[in-house]
Amino acid sequence: MRHLEHDWYDAPLPANVTIGARSWLYSSFAFLHHRSRRPLAVRIGDDCGIYHGTFFETGTGGEVVIGDLCQIAATVFRTDGRIEIGDHALIAHGVHIADSFAAAPPGAPDHAPRAPAETTIGRSAWIGFGATIVGGVRIGDGAIVAAGAVIDHDVPDGAVAAGNPARLIAPAAA
Amino acid sequence: MAEVWDDSPLPPNVRVGEGARLERRMETFQRFYSRRDPGLVLGPRVAVYTWTSFGIWDDGVVEVGADSIVVGATFMCYERISVGQRVVISYDVSIADSDFHPRDAAQRHVDTIAISPEGDRSLRPPVDTAPVTIGDDAWIGIGAIVLKGVTIGAGARIGPGAVVTRDVAAGVTVMGNPAREVAA
Repeated sequence: MRHLEHDWYDAPLPANVTIGARSWLYSSFAFLHHRSRRPLAVRIGDDCGIYHGTFFETGTGGEVVIGDLCQIAATVFRTDGRIEIGDHALIAHGVHIADSFAAAPPGAPDHAPRAPAETTIGRSAWIGFGATIVGGVRIGDGAIVAAGAVIDHDVPDGAVAAGNPARLIAPAAA
Repeated sequence: MAEVWDDSPLPPNVRVGEGARLERRMETFQRFYSRRDPGLVLGPRVAVYTWTSFGIWDDGVVEVGADSIVVGATFMCYERISVGQRVVISYDVSIADSDFHPRDAAQRHVDTIAISPEGDRSLRPPVDTAPVTIGDDAWIGIGAIVLKGVTIGAGARIGPGAVVTRDVAAGVTVMGNPAREVAA
């Protein structure tokens, strides 16, 4: 049984969670609704900060992979599929990344929307606060998702997406 | 559902149907002031997750129908908020049935004094309220905001982050701020 030494929450870290060197996770509370049965369900790379209010809401087949040097503040990851966050990504507080636009936690009654999706946040992407990313999209390398944006389409590498529903306000870098 | 770590008794005017689950923390009832009986009704098998807050003031009543899933709703209720059956309210949703303060600036000035920490709340000017109704099988997307007087029809889909200020007909999908109908 592994416990974070600074933790205030009783539960141990789930066995199928790995946290890389020098990375910091605020609490095992992040796994309140973690249901994944994959041998490696949540992988946090090296030198990451995973801050207060972040939750890994993984269904039984769900997987979240976070690269190295990612800084993540109060983000909800809700997937029955896979969410991958590239190295050096920044994700602000109040961000939701989910398979469905009306997602409910794993284990919710059967009429909750459920459609396993694959979401990719590219390397060095930057997600502004309160953004919502749904439906299994790819946010490109170096892309910016503005605060409060609602994303249900891919965002190209280096592009800037803003608004609800989001549109591209700056083109992909040359 | 995960274990409950706030096992203090529910307020006496809260009715919880058979099989309903409340994964609550202190904040869930921190702003529950309803003096109605019942002030909150959760139907059978309703699931209320940890992020939900029932802010229900003196005369407010919130009803949630059978089998609805309330993930992370902040209810702000002065009068009545009715949620149907099998509704899904996703993460980080706000639902309010009042403006909470007068629209008129002079009256709002009076209100700020009345509601100050040492103020006299009996001097509050009246505020507009209008009930909110959410029909059966509706889905309320992540981060959506539903404002006073809105009726959302059965089976409607409210997109993520939508700000709903007008009625949404049954089966319709809306998105954006302000929320507008889109092809489903």
